[in-house]
Amino acid sequence: MVGDINMKKIIFNSLVAATILFVASCKPEIETPAATTAGTANFSKYIAIGNSLTSGYADGGLYLEGQKVAYPNLLAAQMATVGGGSFTSPFFSDSQPNGSGYASLTALTNGSPTISQVTTGTAYVGAGKLAKYSGEIQNLGIPGMRLDLAFDPTFTFSAANMFFERLLTDAQVGKVNYAAYIQGRNHTFFSLWLGNNDVLGYALNGGVTTDATTVLTEKATFSFLYTNMLNILTAGGQKGVVATIPDVTAVPYFNTVMPAALLAAAKAINPAAAAIYIRTGAGAVRVATSEDLIRLPFQTAGLLGTGSIPYGLHPLNPIANNWVLDKDEVAKVKDYVNSYNSTIKSLANNKGLAIADTYTYFNTVKAGINVQGVNINAAFITGGAFSLDGIHLTPRGNAVIANVFVDAINTKYGSTIPNIDITKYRGVKFPDSK
Amino acid sequence: MKKILLSVVLSVPLWVFGQGFQVNLQGQKQIGMAGAGSALALDEASVFYNPGAVSFLEKNSISAGVNPLLFKSAFKQTGSNITENVKNKIAPPFEAYAVWGPKSNKWKLGLGVYTPFGGLVDWGNDWSGRYALTSLNLKAIYFQPTLSVKITENIGIGAGFVYNHGEVNLQRALPVNYPDGRSGHATLEGTGSGYGWNAGLYIKTQSNITFAVVHKSKVITKLEGGSATFDVPESLRGAFPAGNTFNAELPLPSTTSLGIGVPLSKNTVLAFDASWVQWHIYQDLTFDYAINTPQLTDRPSERNYRDGSSFKLGINHQASEKLALRAGVGYAFSPVQDGYVTPEAPDADRYILSAGVGYAPTRHFELNASFFFEDVKSRQQKNKETGLDGTFKTLVYAPGLSLTYKW
Repeated sequence: MVGDINMKKIIFNSLVAATILFVASCKPEIETPAATTAGTANFSKYIAIGNSLTSGYADGGLYLEGQKVAYPNLLAAQMATVGGGSFTSPFFSDSQPNGSGYASLTALTNGSPTISQVTTGTAYVGAGKLAKYSGEIQNLGIPGMRLDLAFDPTFTFSAANMFFERLLTDAQVGKVNYAAYIQGRNHTFFSLWLGNNDVLGYALNGGVTTDATTVLTEKATFSFLYTNMLNILTAGGQKGVVATIPDVTAVPYFNTVMPAALLAAAKAINPAAAAIYIRTGAGAVRVATSEDLIRLPFQTAGLLGTGSIPYGLHPLNPIANNWVLDKDEVAKVKDYVNSYNSTIKSLANNKGLAIADTYTYFNTVKAGINVQGVNINAAFITGGAFSLDGIHLTPRGNAVIANVFVDAINTKYGSTIPNIDITKYRGVKFPDSK
Repeated sequence: MKKILLSVVLSVPLWVFGQGFQVNLQGQKQIGMAGAGSALALDEASVFYNPGAVSFLEKNSISAGVNPLLFKSAFKQTGSNITENVKNKIAPPFEAYAVWGPKSNKWKLGLGVYTPFGGLVDWGNDWSGRYALTSLNLKAIYFQPTLSVKITENIGIGAGFVYNHGEVNLQRALPVNYPDGRSGHATLEGTGSGYGWNAGLYIKTQSNITFAVVHKSKVITKLEGGSATFDVPESLRGAFPAGNTFNAELPLPSTTSLGIGVPLSKNTVLAFDASWVQWHIYQDLTFDYAINTPQLTDRPSERNYRDGSSFKLGINHQASEKLALRAGVGYAFSPVQDGYVTPEAPDADRYILSAGVGYAPTRHFELNASFFFEDVKSRQQKNKETGLDGTFKTLVYAPGLSLTYKW
């Protein structure tokens, strides 16, 4: 009888133990769409056409860490799961990872940043000259590239832009423009995010045109050249994605230095300070309002209140025109951006291309958005999306924007490129010392 | 025999425990019946299920049990091709009861110690939702002294006072980066207490059909002086001061249950319980920090729970004098509304399946085992506050065992 009881217990316990072992291996499953597919697109050779944003430029420089997380590189890695091939970029070498050098946040005192330039480990071989890169390149983003200069008939830009010059053979320098350079690469898919600098160059100079890089490209010219560019990229019937031009006023570069804050700072030193005076693009001198956008570098330029007639605080010594994108210039810039974007969308639709509407997305970020538990906004340094130059993206910003491209491509071509986990990418690095 | 089982328990590190707050594991027999049994005077666990039924228990008894709970939750970000799983952790819910009263008297005293709410969810520090939550360890241990009185041969009433000892440890990553790129981290840890009550009515009709009405009050658990630790780059220390503390309030909801017990034969009884869980009191989770900064406000994190409910049907069959067999099914409606699902409680409506077995080798000893399974429905959600966007799917497995001594 006792043995019987023990036997029952053993059987009973064994059953329980077996059940436990069985269920311990049963993980919950989340159903996925049956198959991953490239849809109607072919990602086997993807090339990325664009400017600094495409190259991975960040923190006021092009350097290896930024290059590696450029949105085309993140996008290409995701495409690999749906038939995408390898993706090559003109990375700086591991011995010269800091490329052109870049800005680094070295202190934050009561919310006031100290930003220093990293000058070690750079790739300079001479003043304004970077070590050459040779080999296959699919990330063809060139910092400073503009749509109009992509068709530079004089070929001088290829020598003047050190990031472009770096990729060219000595024989090509001064003999080729971007539109010619990107051809003949046998691509099957492309992204095109170009045209930002056709308006940003002008805006970053406070609405003052001083050379070919600060010209505001005429709307008709933009339309003509964008058509040409798309014709080049779709010459073999390739599919691709184009991106709209963000509103330049959506970036911290124009939204950080506020006239009211400048005045408060001036009053702290000189209680007699009554107003901030600016010289507008039209030449008038007037009191600055919140609708006038003062460029980010003014914060550290050390000009305010200097001189026998305090700079910026007196109508006889206003903040110079090139520091300010005044209200009228803002309106002009917005008008051009809207025009460029309607051109881009209309041409892309005619060609059946996907459209990554980064214009709309940047505006969403400007208002602040929570993505996967991370608040992202357009605040300088703390916003998480924009790097220390206030224009270009952090790794986190690149990941977020890459997903805008992923969604646009998937929607247009029925592909299933997986989204990027944006939480794996950092915002601004904060110094770990007081 | 217990050693065999214990060794299995300890040698299976795949186990996880944790669950969206409510733990439906308070008595092995009732667990085997999917948690139904408020209208049955089955055993000393009636201290929890229905204090009114305690006076109808024939014997004095003491019991203790444990239900290692395997909470297997998975998450996949919307549009992603990667499924992430919670880490494997064990922290078993337990229950202990004692019931005593002079024989042939009309009253009985009871004591219950059980864990009606809790959760241990550890998603790890690298998962894609880490800025919403990395881990939550929440424990609520209720102590309930109880008095039950048989006011007639057919009606019993009972009530208990509830003291709750609560502990919470909540962690998440902060989206600020050190120079080496790693993220900051926040840890909120504290203990608290709360009070409530549990009262029930038990009616046994002439036809031996039994009814129960039970109300367990809400227990507002207050945490005071908990520690708030922020690992952030030193340049951000001003925004996240060191040595900060917090107060918080976690409202644990009241539950009203109606139960019915129907004897199908001399040896077989059917139990049905319908419960209404008044989760609507959980409107927000607010950490009131001792030191506030612009980055560290006392802004409530909205939860907006609505009331939940559950329906459970169980059967108890006395196969022989010594052996009892049990089974149950149930369905529970989640209190978490769309837009408020969080990784700390990835909740959704759920199916419940259970089975149990009881064995009484002697007049005095009884061994009960149960197996409890919950299939929490897959739920794709975008959280309104954090923007965490993805699909949660959870399966819960809880084997349990208890030992009873009766006299």
